[in-house]
Amino acid sequence: MKTSVVATLFLVLLCVSGGCQKKEEVIKVGVAGPMTGDQAKMGTDFKNGVSLAVEEWNAKGGLLGKKISLLEADDQHDPKQAVSVANKAVNEGVVGLIGHFNSSCSIPASDVYNRAGIPMITPGSTNPQLTEKGYRGIFRVCGRDDQQGKVGAEFVADKLRLKSVAVIHDKTTYGQGLADEFKRFISGKVEVVYYGGIIQGDKDFKTVLTAIREKRPELIYYGGIYPEMGLLVKQARELGIGAPFMSGDGSIDPKFIEIAGPKAADGTYLTFSPDPRNIPTAKVFIDDYQKRFGEIGPYSVYAYDAANILFTAIKEAGTAEGRAVAEKLHSSEFSGALGKIRFDEKGDVTASLYVVWITREGKFIEYWRPGH
Amino acid sequence: MLFQQLINGLTVGGVYALIALGYTMVYGILELINFAHGEIYMLGAYLGVIFFAFFSAAGLTSYSLSLSLVLTVALSALFCSAYGFTMERIAYRPLRNAPRLSPLISAIGVSIFLQNYVMLTQGATDKVFPHLQGTGGLTFFGARITYLQVCIILVSFFLMLSLHLYVTRTRMGRAMRAVAQDKVMASLLGVDIDLVISLTFVIGSGLAAVAGIMVAMYYGLVNYSIGYIAGIKAFTAAVLGGIGSIPGAMFGGIFLGLVESMGASYISSEYKDAYAFAVLIIVLLIKPSGIFGRTNEEKV
Repeated sequence: MKTSVVATLFLVLLCVSGGCQKKEEVIKVGVAGPMTGDQAKMGTDFKNGVSLAVEEWNAKGGLLGKKISLLEADDQHDPKQAVSVANKAVNEGVVGLIGHFNSSCSIPASDVYNRAGIPMITPGSTNPQLTEKGYRGIFRVCGRDDQQGKVGAEFVADKLRLKSVAVIHDKTTYGQGLADEFKRFISGKVEVVYYGGIIQGDKDFKTVLTAIREKRPELIYYGGIYPEMGLLVKQARELGIGAPFMSGDGSIDPKFIEIAGPKAADGTYLTFSPDPRNIPTAKVFIDDYQKRFGEIGPYSVYAYDAANILFTAIKEAGTAEGRAVAEKLHSSEFSGALGKIRFDEKGDVTASLYVVWITREGKFIEYWRPGH
Repeated sequence: MLFQQLINGLTVGGVYALIALGYTMVYGILELINFAHGEIYMLGAYLGVIFFAFFSAAGLTSYSLSLSLVLTVALSALFCSAYGFTMERIAYRPLRNAPRLSPLISAIGVSIFLQNYVMLTQGATDKVFPHLQGTGGLTFFGARITYLQVCIILVSFFLMLSLHLYVTRTRMGRAMRAVAQDKVMASLLGVDIDLVISLTFVIGSGLAAVAGIMVAMYYGLVNYSIGYIAGIKAFTAAVLGGIGSIPGAMFGGIFLGLVESMGASYISSEYKDAYAFAVLIIVLLIKPSGIFGRTNEEKV
């Protein structure tokens, strides 16, 4: 009995002293996204990009004299889970957060970070609502769906000069938001012959595609993420639908081609930001990343830049206090792998550019820029 | 369009029916809802991907695609039958005389265990089934059917017919029906109850495995969580047809597939999952024992 009491006391003391020591040395930063589940690829890209930035800063001596430690939060692209991991990250004492990926996760999670006064920078949530809530500490380094939908609509109406399109979405904040923006900008120029939603996580889309086939659209626009996009394209070809597909940044992932099959995916249009491989400043990052993790994902560079921007702002502010960092983020100009980045009053990047990519022989290639 | 939707519905419905048979057979004999049955289907899909990858690495697929597919299906069904057998031995047999809630909870436990087991060993990301070459299709009456769809429909009907003949025409089938009616009486007459119950799990799991592989080939996408929704749908199909009734499960599965595809095409695709449950509620209101279900007056 006595020995067990002593042993317990000893253990408790050990834990407490260990905990204290850790708190002294490190500065905690979170990275959140779908780390497991069918979108795990996107979450892993985030994590890899951010950890590369953390390693580089730590190699240079850390931040404010402390080492940076990375806290990984898995939201499984589930809004409820996102709020729960956001609360957990706040309780763990993170000073800033990079994430989340899905707009449907970022928007509810942003309430949690805002309440705690912790800055959040998302590398990939494009739904306009995220930065329309007037929160001072919420930022994004990617573009917005109203810009993205507009470029997609211009491409279909002015470049391809099509007469009819079908629009489908996955009923999520991101997917339906993007599809609605596309539909808004295209109305009056091109006829929308079909508009409807599908269920995220479903595998069988032949029924909805059969209904679309009847309407004979010249292009099918999908607002959603790559697993469903891949299945839609594959099943459309099986039904004999030859019309090309178009989607947004959520579908631009090699997994999309793998699921659809290279032949079926050929000629699919996707709106996304310009190819980082064409940006001179991104070259060093891409080389380092490939050496460390393999092929870069579409959002790896955004996650890397978001992390660097956060660390720079903390360094310039001279403190990790959330509100001071947020003000610094609003006022400074940052140079990252993607070039110069400045945030506006809402927390959106001041200059964001969407271009149209095309799938050719199993690869994504930059294809068209607006105004050309 | 109607004809195309019929084909779509039949393909999905055949798969639902194959899974539903496992639910209904186990319920018929043990009055247990085997919630882990959907996970057996998921295991079947995974084993299909693994065996097929193995055969293509061994060069068998380029030698003969059909042979390697048949082997893949046979081996996965065998493995899943073993899983089903083991599951019954470990999780249900020790609880056979326990209150009815205990095996139910045990079933949920097995389901959670199997899902996490696959997630940890195979990873949480989607696995892609290789695209089969030569999967062209037929066109008639304006509907396009891939050979794979033809295959799924034929295989599911063939298996259902075989099961029906097995249960109605063989000695073992008669033993199964006897156990379903009255376990004690059947054992007094010399039926080996343990063997019958094991066989029920083995057959049900084999059918679910075949459904799993066909789905893996058809959609080309497999992950550890597919068993949940497929299990719920198949369970709905079994209840719809009258749980415990084998023809009921077959009918329920096909009916559910058709309701989903018709609802999604003529009403709205956004609520596809809701139609199945709406129909279930209507059927249960009118005929609480399901379409083919009998009220069991013999138990009074």
